Amino acid sequence: MNLKSSNSSFSAESIQKQGNGFLGVEWGTYIKAFFGGNAFVAMFVLALITLFLFKEGVGFFPQYRKDMELYRASGQEFVGLLKTELDDYDELQQQLGKVQVSILTDLYAEGKEWEEVTALTAPFQASLDQTSSAADPLRQVVKKAIDITSEAKEAVVVNNTRREITGVDLTTLMNEEQSAAFLKSSREQIIAMMPEIEAANDMFLENLLAAQEAMPELNLSPDAKKEMLIYEKGLKTFLDSMTKFDDKLAKYDPEKPFTFLQTLGGFLFGSQWTTNSSWQDFYGIWPLLSGSLLVTLVALSFAIPFGVFAAVYVNQVASSSEQNIIKPYIEFISAIPSVVIGFFGVAIFGTFIRTLSEQDFLAWVPFFPISERLNAYTAGCLLALMAVPTIFTLAEDALNNVPKAFTEASEAMGATRWQTIWRIQIPSSLSGIISAVLLGFGRVIGETMVVLLCAGNQIAVPELSKGLGIVFEPVHTMTGIIAQEMGEVVPGSIHYRALFCVGIFLFFLSLLINYIAQAIVRRYKISAG
Amino acid sequence: MSNESISVAAPQSTRPASDTSAAKTLIEVDNLDFYYGKKQALCDINLEIPEKLVTAFIGPSGCGKSTLLRCFNRMNDLVDVAHIGSGSIKIHGVDINSKNVDVIELRKRVGMVFQKSNPFPKSIYENITYGLKIRGIKKKSYLDEVVERSLRGAALWDEVKDRLHDSALGMSGGQQQRLCIARAIAVEPEIILMDEPCSALDPIATAQIEELIDELKTDFTIVIVTHNMQQATRVSDKTAFFYLGKLIEYDDTARLFSNPDNKQTEDYITGRFG
Repeated sequence: MNLKSSNSSFSAESIQKQGNGFLGVEWGTYIKAFFGGNAFVAMFVLALITLFLFKEGVGFFPQYRKDMELYRASGQEFVGLLKTELDDYDELQQQLGKVQVSILTDLYAEGKEWEEVTALTAPFQASLDQTSSAADPLRQVVKKAIDITSEAKEAVVVNNTRREITGVDLTTLMNEEQSAAFLKSSREQIIAMMPEIEAANDMFLENLLAAQEAMPELNLSPDAKKEMLIYEKGLKTFLDSMTKFDDKLAKYDPEKPFTFLQTLGGFLFGSQWTTNSSWQDFYGIWPLLSGSLLVTLVALSFAIPFGVFAAVYVNQVASSSEQNIIKPYIEFISAIPSVVIGFFGVAIFGTFIRTLSEQDFLAWVPFFPISERLNAYTAGCLLALMAVPTIFTLAEDALNNVPKAFTEASEAMGATRWQTIWRIQIPSSLSGIISAVLLGFGRVIGETMVVLLCAGNQIAVPELSKGLGIVFEPVHTMTGIIAQEMGEVVPGSIHYRALFCVGIFLFFLSLLINYIAQAIVRRYKISAG
Repeated sequence: MSNESISVAAPQSTRPASDTSAAKTLIEVDNLDFYYGKKQALCDINLEIPEKLVTAFIGPSGCGKSTLLRCFNRMNDLVDVAHIGSGSIKIHGVDINSKNVDVIELRKRVGMVFQKSNPFPKSIYENITYGLKIRGIKKKSYLDEVVERSLRGAALWDEVKDRLHDSALGMSGGQQQRLCIARAIAVEPEIILMDEPCSALDPIATAQIEELIDELKTDFTIVIVTHNMQQATRVSDKTAFFYLGKLIEYDDTARLFSNPDNKQTEDYITGRFG
């Protein structure tokens, strides 16, 4: 039997390179260049994106700082303190309004007529009017101050813009020194108003206390009493804060420079995101960050149990035919476009939750019925749906990586299946499960479409005082605000750069989460003994 | 492994042979047929394993010796397709496959040590106390006592007493295997099954384990599966030779190795096939 064909004899010719390649370069070199080139382009594009993100975003801080300096220099910041005080008071009044509504509802429910009700509530109505008008003297003074400072700032802003556009110092326009002097004069006007303001504030306090004194004894139903208690608590906080306002007003120094750290702090911890305001724009990320975190918290509190326990079931308990159904089914969820999930949330789920909360048999839940259809809870539930496949798949992998020897050893010791799962499987795969959860977290916090459609988009820091009811507050998110506002901002404006800064913040957050997830996996990787 | 040429004409046992004839029978296998799906893995096995002696199962790969061993604590339950065709296994005269038998309780009485050492990724202390904790025993003083007793029993105490709370995965291979033995004896079983406990160990660690087996014999009945025939002669009192799912010969170790009745046994132990 001849296993060798005749021409396979070894010679110098037979082992010589075949073919010449192209243009004197071997084919292998081209192939290498092709693959290497792809990798290079991918890296280059990513680097460009990051660079662009930072280039656009970082400019925010000097710009915002300048803006805030103007806010301070014009005296607006000072007036802002008074304005806040009045806004707080208005909010308090709204609470009293709720008490009124509650009283009226009760009376009408008893079957009383309009005249009778009016007569019965007349003393309360009078006291309500008195309380409301208590702030009037202060309101008038503050309005005057607002007008002065707003005008001054407006003048400087217009002046500066025109100077920038023309690029030359026209004689009709103020130069920097002149505008500083102009702002100073505006400030001095306000300082001159100080005695007037203090007098108005004292009068306000006096009026308020008098109105409180004059409040008639009320025979309240439990519901109304609850609202009244909230009001009384709010009033106490307000009165406390009034003295603090006095302190702040006294200590206020308009000449103090606005530092870079203050700008950064204002961005990271500022509780207001106000744009296109006639008064002053604020770019504080905190309402958006807290909204994102709240939505994420809701999402993960559903996605973690569902994802992890489903993984445990599929990996440990399910028969192979069950596995063949469940695994592709859950993984299929990630194929649903997020806009479809969001649409489902708007059209069906939000309404369903609200209707559910209005049912009588759920009346015992403290924060039911809910008023908003679209809120953090609605968005969170739908995001949970999107995070489940991520968490499920990774957690299942982690469980799969637990050496079979551990399971065998545990069962041979006489452990039941559940004891083995609980004491061996889950602890052994914990690092993988934690990183699965973190990646799910990253998935949820970066998701845009669902939160934009379903979270309610109200820019406000959720109030912790509402307890668990906080999850039914409408919120806005970091991703949502970028998607919503980026289309309508002027490129290069503070607002535009602020949105980029939010993007950078998200970028770092995701980077951090991914880093932690990987570090955990590296640190606790189990080696089969 | 077993096809090295080993000539064991007259085993030089280094220890006094136990009296195998007087021992009481503990495990009784009657006409056992065992299947993996449709494939028959054990045919008509009849075997009586005496109490407080070491019984070795030898035979070429795939002969069913590990399968039989795993029948004794019903580890085969974990394999979906595995099932007993006919016959029975009785321990103390009780059929362990009967419906009334709680497999958890059975495994408490029949401990097992695996081929590859498999301590849990926990501390040494937690490894030993695992079997007690899953039964709800939490008393610290009792657990401490058991840990010391088990580790002494496995000749490991002096090596690890200062690092009981370190991870068990930081130990050497031999130590890990002795830890697995300590873990098995912590729950005070009657029988310890050993599935090739030394196949992944170096000669020194192997010698330590063999010495340990010899000591454990006073308290426990040991059934050991081994590929290493010298090991069988060193540690066991009785030896069973399996081939293709059948029990070919079962006798006192000394007799089986010096004067086998069966031609196949002789061929195997002299290394003519394997």
